[in-house]
Amino acid sequence: MACLLRKSLRTKALFLHKLVGNSSDSHQTLASSSWFWCRQLSLSLPHKTTTCFASNSIPSPSFSNALLQIRFWASEAAATELSTSDGLTVQRILANNWTILDEHDGDWRSHATAIAQSIHLIKRRLQWEKLKVRLDMLSFQLGKEDLWDDPMLAGKLSREHGSLLGKMKEVNALEQELLEHIDMIKLAREENDADLESESLKVLLNMRRNAKEKELEALLAGEHDSCSCYIEVQAGAGGTESMDWAAMVMQMYKSWAQRRGYKVTVMDEMPGEIAGIKRATIKVDGEFAFGYAKAEIGVHRLVRISPFDSNKRRHTSFAAVAVIPILGDGSTHVQINESDLRIERFRAGGAGGQHVNTTESAVRIVHIPTGVTATCQNERSQHQNKASAMAVLQSRLDQLEMARQAQLNAKHTQSLTDITWGSQIRSYVLHPYRMVKDLRTNYEVSDPDSVLEGDLDSFILSYLSASLDKDDDA
Amino acid sequence: MNLSLSGVYRPHSLPKLLTYSSFSTLCRPFCYSALSSSPTCVKPQVPLFLRPPIYSTKLCDLKKWHDWGKGVALSIGSTFVQSDDGPDSSMLCRELKWLMEDAVVDHSLGVEDDDRVKMRIGIEGLYCLWKQRVQERRPFQYVVGCEHWRDLVLSVQEGVLIPRPETELVVDFVADVVSENEDLRSGVWADLGTGSGALAIGIGRVLGSERGRVIATDLSPVAVSVATYNVQRYCLQDKIDLREGSWFEPLKDMEGKLAGLVSNPPYIPSKDISGLQAEVGRHEPRVALDGGIDGMQALLHLCDGAVLMMKPGGFLAFETNGEQQSRALVDYMKNHRSGSFCNLEIRADFAGIQRFVIGFHQ
Repeated sequence: MACLLRKSLRTKALFLHKLVGNSSDSHQTLASSSWFWCRQLSLSLPHKTTTCFASNSIPSPSFSNALLQIRFWASEAAATELSTSDGLTVQRILANNWTILDEHDGDWRSHATAIAQSIHLIKRRLQWEKLKVRLDMLSFQLGKEDLWDDPMLAGKLSREHGSLLGKMKEVNALEQELLEHIDMIKLAREENDADLESESLKVLLNMRRNAKEKELEALLAGEHDSCSCYIEVQAGAGGTESMDWAAMVMQMYKSWAQRRGYKVTVMDEMPGEIAGIKRATIKVDGEFAFGYAKAEIGVHRLVRISPFDSNKRRHTSFAAVAVIPILGDGSTHVQINESDLRIERFRAGGAGGQHVNTTESAVRIVHIPTGVTATCQNERSQHQNKASAMAVLQSRLDQLEMARQAQLNAKHTQSLTDITWGSQIRSYVLHPYRMVKDLRTNYEVSDPDSVLEGDLDSFILSYLSASLDKDDDA
Repeated sequence: MNLSLSGVYRPHSLPKLLTYSSFSTLCRPFCYSALSSSPTCVKPQVPLFLRPPIYSTKLCDLKKWHDWGKGVALSIGSTFVQSDDGPDSSMLCRELKWLMEDAVVDHSLGVEDDDRVKMRIGIEGLYCLWKQRVQERRPFQYVVGCEHWRDLVLSVQEGVLIPRPETELVVDFVADVVSENEDLRSGVWADLGTGSGALAIGIGRVLGSERGRVIATDLSPVAVSVATYNVQRYCLQDKIDLREGSWFEPLKDMEGKLAGLVSNPPYIPSKDISGLQAEVGRHEPRVALDGGIDGMQALLHLCDGAVLMMKPGGFLAFETNGEQQSRALVDYMKNHRSGSFCNLEIRADFAGIQRFVIGFHQ
């Protein structure tokens, strides 16, 4: 079978290669044709295939078609893992521990490993083994003759079956495509076909990026992950130096959010006396804002030569970050009684009214039973500040309630005051060497500037993946 | 008032802006034109944020202005706070940001210094406005020509009191009573001394699509013209009737018919006027601030008039100078006008000052 596979693959590859020739957009063509294979694969359902193979009719003119059928048969035989012509599987790719290089390094092993990792992750997130068992059970039930005696149940079962099958097919297709392109590259090497090799590499690179996105989707499956959120930053002890650091951290999140296309609104900002901020809250609007940002909860530490120290000494500063989800309309909100609220002018004093002209109209709302407060001062009218502060208060109370109910998942629902200064999550070192290191995942980069400019995604993703591992261990 | 406002966005003051040839003296090119004309044809000014973006400047020049403006703001420190409880640096910095937001068209500013930025005012104009703000203590709301009040953005200009945040609560009081009382919701309300029209518009929107409407009066032609402009901007011409005249004078036809009465009349005692914060004392209309010897002149007049003008069960809400006036007003209503009012209450503003008197006509 391996022999047959190789042969047909070669034919297919050569055929394709001829087809795309040297045209500049050839990799597009290649990519779309491989997508087409997968489609065919999933579409050409069992009935014909088995007979085809059973009759052992050696594929005559159309090698590729035969390949599809055989491949399908192989995957249908469930126990058989998908593999390349020389037996490389996703598991083996992972076991090889090939170094994952930067995307721009055109090394197929690196791409393949990255894709294999994504596939592995997605599978874990989907609880692959359980999924297979469940799917088998559903298929069995759907096959029963009395299925439609209970149409409600039948509908439910078939919907679930469809949805699970869809997920499974998507992952299988990804796996299949990966292995086929590895075959293709090996083949191209054997044939000394540089063009084909580079085309396949391009496809792999594209796959690598897409797989990363899919992996991400699989990572952000938490209950509130799709929500918008508030991000709060508070300066640690250490005066101006720490306040400056808090402002840098806040700026980092603003840039990060803008890069991701989220809308950023400053809700509340308490500036430091000389520089920076004592504390600030921003609202980050957009899909999965909370899912990503929750990875940032904790204490961030900075080491640098202080610009505020005339003796140019090295200083360590801290800033705490809290992230609160803004629950959508579908969620249950905590009921707030108007009578439980105390609303006050943020900076009251003086006679007020007609005596005073001021553009300062911030209000603070205190929820008396819990002592939770919220302030907003970015709006230009008191009424709007009050409305925004109410929204913040609502989210804080919702969060408290969530924490109370769940009592676990504590790290995602901690408020600023709860974050102990010991729970450091990341170090930013600007001196004597330059590095940013996540203390939870050991992920590190040597370019602090890019991180402080909002290039945070790789930190966030590595943390989210790592927490998945932890969940698994538990 | 015969005002020919063809549209909300009509840039009335622009010709003046355009013909003004030299900014070198940095005197005041943008204001007072309306005040100097005859009372019958007062033209309201268009707030900065509604002016057409016919100017453009290089990003680096805008940055330069902003840096200069920030420097000016920071140099103030707490000087104004100490002298008369005026704005401090941080408040001025925030105003500077808002001024820029109002002046610059989109906030997706370019990145290169040479990129052009579309603006609603020339860069020289911006320098001029910020000097007026800081050196002359011209209120920020007059500088940008608007005040954000509740969920409204109201046009304001010299000659019209800038609506205060405290006054927003009066609309909440009205919203509360009309939500549970059909008679009040469909009745005629009066806002006396409306100024920019803030209360009238706020209440007009609270009354919603039902039959209820608002009559707003003001002695000042400038106020009536600005209020008319604001009413039109919120498309409430059919709901709000503006009348020029002192307190109840233009309401002769409404005797015994008012379902509601609200007012933020001048209530500052005359002796306190000279010590007011510069923004208020030097720039806002005294007629909207000075409430006579004890500051109660207008408030008492309004109470007397209310007895005659309101229908039984009508709701009233007045803003006052604080606890002392509120108590005095309630005493007056109970003792001198006994039997006329009921359910009188004193309510505090968000700063905890006993600011309002509310109640019902018997």
